[in-house]
Amino acid sequence: MLNKLLIPARAIALGVILSAASLPAAADSASDAKLEELQHKLDQSMKMIEALGARVKELEGHATSGPVAAAAAPAADAQRLAAVEQQVVQIETVNATRQSDDSGLPIHGFADVNVGNDNLYFPYAKGTNVGSLDLYLAPKLGDRVVSLAELIFETGPDGHVGTDLERFQIGYQFSDKATVWVGRFHTPYGYVNTALHHGVWLADALRRPKFVNFEDKGGVLPAHTVGVWVTGAQHEGNGKFLYDFYAGNGQQIQGGTLDMQTGGNGHGAAIAGTRLSYQFSGGAVDGLMVGVNGFTDKVSDDRVNGDLITPNATLIRLNMVGAYAVYDTDMWEHIVEFYSFRDKTLNGSPGTHKSNAWFGQFAYRGRWCLPYVRFERASLDQADPYFNEQTFGASYYRSALGVRFDINAKSSIKLEVAHTRNTDDRPKTDYRPSDAEIGLPQQYNEILAQYAVRF
Amino acid sequence: MRGSVGLGELPQGWHDDRARDLTLAGLRGHRVVLTMAYAACHRICPMTMDELKRMQRVADARGEIVDFVIVGYDPKNDSPAVWHQYRLSRGLNRDNWHFLSGSQAATEQLARQLGFPFWKYDEHVMHESRAVLFDSSGVERAVLGSQNPSWSDAL
Repeated sequence: MLNKLLIPARAIALGVILSAASLPAAADSASDAKLEELQHKLDQSMKMIEALGARVKELEGHATSGPVAAAAAPAADAQRLAAVEQQVVQIETVNATRQSDDSGLPIHGFADVNVGNDNLYFPYAKGTNVGSLDLYLAPKLGDRVVSLAELIFETGPDGHVGTDLERFQIGYQFSDKATVWVGRFHTPYGYVNTALHHGVWLADALRRPKFVNFEDKGGVLPAHTVGVWVTGAQHEGNGKFLYDFYAGNGQQIQGGTLDMQTGGNGHGAAIAGTRLSYQFSGGAVDGLMVGVNGFTDKVSDDRVNGDLITPNATLIRLNMVGAYAVYDTDMWEHIVEFYSFRDKTLNGSPGTHKSNAWFGQFAYRGRWCLPYVRFERASLDQADPYFNEQTFGASYYRSALGVRFDINAKSSIKLEVAHTRNTDDRPKTDYRPSDAEIGLPQQYNEILAQYAVRF
Repeated sequence: MRGSVGLGELPQGWHDDRARDLTLAGLRGHRVVLTMAYAACHRICPMTMDELKRMQRVADARGEIVDFVIVGYDPKNDSPAVWHQYRLSRGLNRDNWHFLSGSQAATEQLARQLGFPFWKYDEHVMHESRAVLFDSSGVERAVLGSQNPSWSDAL
């Protein structure tokens, strides 16, 4: 840069001097005015040379001190940059919070329709049926206050549309390690009950195993609890330790169906339980989760005989311990759950009853479809009023073969063929019709199709 | 209708799977394919990764360096350590693949700006298979999704 300035300046000065020196001798007779003019030009050239020289010195001085200034500049820039980044992050955070608070409550959910030779939950109903419309709401109430509601419209076998607030929970998140929920939640046992919830689209299989289905869909376990639930996770090693503790209203059998006493507990009893799990990550066991769970529940039965209702006719201490394992990877989804019951009848004809139930479901995640196979067995002591007084409390075997096709990221078609064989001959009682009377065959085959979406 | 967004206009504070700071604007110089995913997804995200791997093969055949950026939908669970394990278990070890975790606010902001709709159903993230392609100047050039039979055609 300096050289570029110096060269033209020197050239100009030299040119002016040479011009002056080449004046002819005859100039003696030239006018003084011309000499004065030349002298003036020479003075101007000398001044220009001096000015350029001063400028060169100035610039050279800057060039000498440049590295120091250059070193100081990045430090200052870095500070300014950090400050700007901080402001940007703050603005982003504020904007994100503002938008989430001001943009209303988005409604998402699931829906399904079904076709088959049977209703997939009530085998005495045939043909096409509208499954459920599941609206899921999770309003943001701040950094730590959490809430969710799952409102479901579903048709029963009688064709009537029922509405259930299947889940309604408000919680406080102390950290990732602990969240306390209060309300109606899915009882933390096994894997399916808290991983797959009501959104049918979410599950790879067309339906849940029968005995772990929801209470109004043939399940015999207390799938919902109304109470308090503490849940959290702690990273340990390469995996994660998960825990759940809960307590709530004791369930009640009403008209052959287990009820979770959402409006309050009529008999003052409680359910309490826990689940402890470990989720492996990395190595050969990546994707494996194992867990144990158990609860104790005091269940009452309001026996209904015609117009006569006998509240708390039976009190049962329901004790369950179980274990489960899930292997969930990009290629496989295997789920195994086992439950063991040791129940006590607390009034009437006291006694202890043992039952157990299990299922294993094995699925392969193919590129175009997901085939699965499932085996279920429930061996339920019919001398145990807890099972005997439930409409779907019979022992059974079921084997099923199914496949899921994802049409796109929001819809899927599932097909399933299944064979079910009930292994208890349940006669009519004073408070429950026989299985044959309500159209529950001793064994039956099903061909089912389901179109499930999320939105 | 979402307008075109440059890398420099997106939230910048991210951590990669080795817990190193990374700014998206700093990726200028190569083309960038940015997607969102969550580590526990076994249905949609594996398909997305397959598409990215195909794009990687096309870039390799051309001798082009393309940066692949995967931003976690679920920062509560998609920590750098989780992403690191994800990368290892799926053999996605190349340095030009960046698995990023950020704050919840930054994640939601980026998703909004780039048009990645998602919502959480308990521990599940409901989302789609989608990616955005930026040119070497950090300018958005294409949106890739189910409408593209092969994402690598966009390269």
